[in-house]
Amino acid sequence: MIEIAHVSKSFRPKVALSNVSFNIKKGTITGLLGPNGAGKTTLIRLMNLMIIPDDGFIKFEGQLLKENHLKEIGYLPEERGLYKELSVKQQLLFFAKLRGLTSEEAERGALYWIERLEMSEWSHKKTESLSKGMAQKVQFAVAVVHDPKFLILDEPFTGFDPVNIDLIKQLLFEFRDAGKTILLSTHNMQRVQDICSHIILVNKGQLIANDAINDLLDKFERKHFMVAYRGTSIGFANALWTDFELLEQTERSDGVVEAHLLKRGAKSVDDLINNLKGHVSIESIQRAPINMEEVFLKLIANTTEI
Amino acid sequence: MSAVLLIAIKEVKQRILNRSFIVMLFLVPTMILSMVYFLVKAADEGKKNVHVLIADPGNILQGVISSKDASNVNYSFVSDYLEIEEFKIGKRYQEYDVLLEVNEKVLNNKKVFVFHRDFLSNNIQGSIRYTFERRVEEVLISEFSDLSIDEFRQLKQPLNVDFRSIDNPTNSSSNKAGWVGYFFGMVIMLVTLFYGLSILRGIAREKADRVVEVVVSIVRPYQLMLGKIIGIGTAAIIQIGFWVLFVFLGLYALQDILFSDFFIDASLTASQVSEGANEILQSEFNRIRNNEMIHLIYDRIDLALMLPFFFVFFLATYLFYGALFSLIGAAMGSEGDGQLFILPTVFLVLFTIIAGYFMLNNPESQLFVYGQFIPFTLPMFVMIKLSMGYAVGSGYLIWISLLIMIFSIILMLWIAGRIFKVSLLSYGHRLTLRGLFKWFLSK
Repeated sequence: MIEIAHVSKSFRPKVALSNVSFNIKKGTITGLLGPNGAGKTTLIRLMNLMIIPDDGFIKFEGQLLKENHLKEIGYLPEERGLYKELSVKQQLLFFAKLRGLTSEEAERGALYWIERLEMSEWSHKKTESLSKGMAQKVQFAVAVVHDPKFLILDEPFTGFDPVNIDLIKQLLFEFRDAGKTILLSTHNMQRVQDICSHIILVNKGQLIANDAINDLLDKFERKHFMVAYRGTSIGFANALWTDFELLEQTERSDGVVEAHLLKRGAKSVDDLINNLKGHVSIESIQRAPINMEEVFLKLIANTTEI
Repeated sequence: MSAVLLIAIKEVKQRILNRSFIVMLFLVPTMILSMVYFLVKAADEGKKNVHVLIADPGNILQGVISSKDASNVNYSFVSDYLEIEEFKIGKRYQEYDVLLEVNEKVLNNKKVFVFHRDFLSNNIQGSIRYTFERRVEEVLISEFSDLSIDEFRQLKQPLNVDFRSIDNPTNSSSNKAGWVGYFFGMVIMLVTLFYGLSILRGIAREKADRVVEVVVSIVRPYQLMLGKIIGIGTAAIIQIGFWVLFVFLGLYALQDILFSDFFIDASLTASQVSEGANEILQSEFNRIRNNEMIHLIYDRIDLALMLPFFFVFFLATYLFYGALFSLIGAAMGSEGDGQLFILPTVFLVLFTIIAGYFMLNNPESQLFVYGQFIPFTLPMFVMIKLSMGYAVGSGYLIWISLLIMIFSIILMLWIAGRIFKVSLLSYGHRLTLRGLFKWFLSK
């Protein structure tokens, strides 16, 4: 659906993106992750043609991204922006027409989303008089009113209550099931884990990861182990040799010590058991469960570990 | 519908549906008309009908001036000298508003004094002056010449020594004519300044509200810029067009009240017209009424030439300055930023207006020679020169000025477009010349 190939962009003297390449598959929800200043906004703006890359190219459905593709793209920016003096309906009509819809199509789209997002009662109100949550709904409707194929959402859940968060989540799943492609930029890792099937991680203008979430979690889980043992911690540490790294350990009240290990090289669980035999008494060994937040932090902290 | 048009329509709607716009639409012309009405009326205040006592000890005008000379002035005579103090407090003189003292030597020294109790309107003063001059003239003619009255009045026309440039022998130019051009130029510059600042504020506000982020994800920044300039300009034209129409209609409707003496011969009394010197009388009356400006606007200025050029240069100036203001608005880091650039731009507009005033008094100055080719100042200078009239063979200069303006608009729109597209999405900085230059060079 979207192909980013060797894209670089700098705002002299800062390099915002350096030789970034990835694909976003059709009908997926992909999380765009990265710490502040990583280059996410630059990537999003490039995909909206708001800025032009210094090098590389972007393709949309196999064609070089051009202005005529913009009507197929919906964009919800992180910093919300609406015309304060326009009513909700006027707002939707204006942006729908700006996206290239006819007056009839715009009217149809506006009415559908006013109904769908339960905005009928206040659709005549000026945006400046709306609460933050209401304005968020309008902003979301503006992004989707023209029925785009590709949707870029930057922190779409900010300002919503749990009920509306659930509503937006359901809508995203509906879009995905309808074959639309969604790029979701957020710092909420739990939400990424809940909603996204893939992630793209950037840091300091470089692509760090571009994987399916399950594959990524698997990679991390395969490398991390939780070992419960009885014995001395010196003996345990000596037994690990250089094959496993001791990340942290805590002693329980019953005298059992729980250690979090990171596997190095191609060693297996059998190698670990063999190493520990005779040094400590092993109570249990299991893969360490890991979540997206930990993955994110580890990837950012040390990208060479994967 | 094109994006530029959609944005322009939104801008127009946003402004013309605004309550203050509608209020201003009616308030400004009403204020102008009221001001004109009160100014004219203030100059014409005072009693409408007066009773004049002519103290004529030499019986020079007894039987010569009568109340038939003017319907609103009654004349009575006393064949003696009359002290002012006596006229002021004497019971028998209280019915008189004016004392006209005709000295016995009036035919030689041609001097009379008119003492009035209350302020006399221009109309009454003109009537008394006219009647007295005419009647004394008639006495002089009969006593000292064999000429008829008409012959005398033909001879009486003063010699007019008229200095004219050899480049402009028809004297189509003059400082007074230049005032009309100055007025047109000032309208162009002030309206451009007012609506240019409106563009700047509009863009800065939308930038601060972050709505530009959504808009430029759909349309190109130059489309947003053009849409704004065209939309706000259209709203300006609607507003100014309405004001002009309203003021003209108002002046037309009020002309009987305001300018009846200038335009309607019927305002002259039957006795004045019957004297067979209507042409001279008309010019005399015009002189008395001091209507040179009206004569200038209606007769001497070629409005059929001025108005199309005014419209063209108005549009050109608005586009030029509009692009400049939109550039500043887009480049501002916050709504309060940009004073460093706003003030010099405003001063540039004000300088042009002041330079125009200087040019009125020095039409051949070097300032004009260069100013007519500098896009910031040329609208004002061209308007003044156009109303004064270009010298024979130098009319092509206006087309050079216009070409320079068109080229400058294209250049300014290009520069503004380049800076606009990069700076529009930059926040939180302080606007500097270096920053502008950097954005201009950005891809």
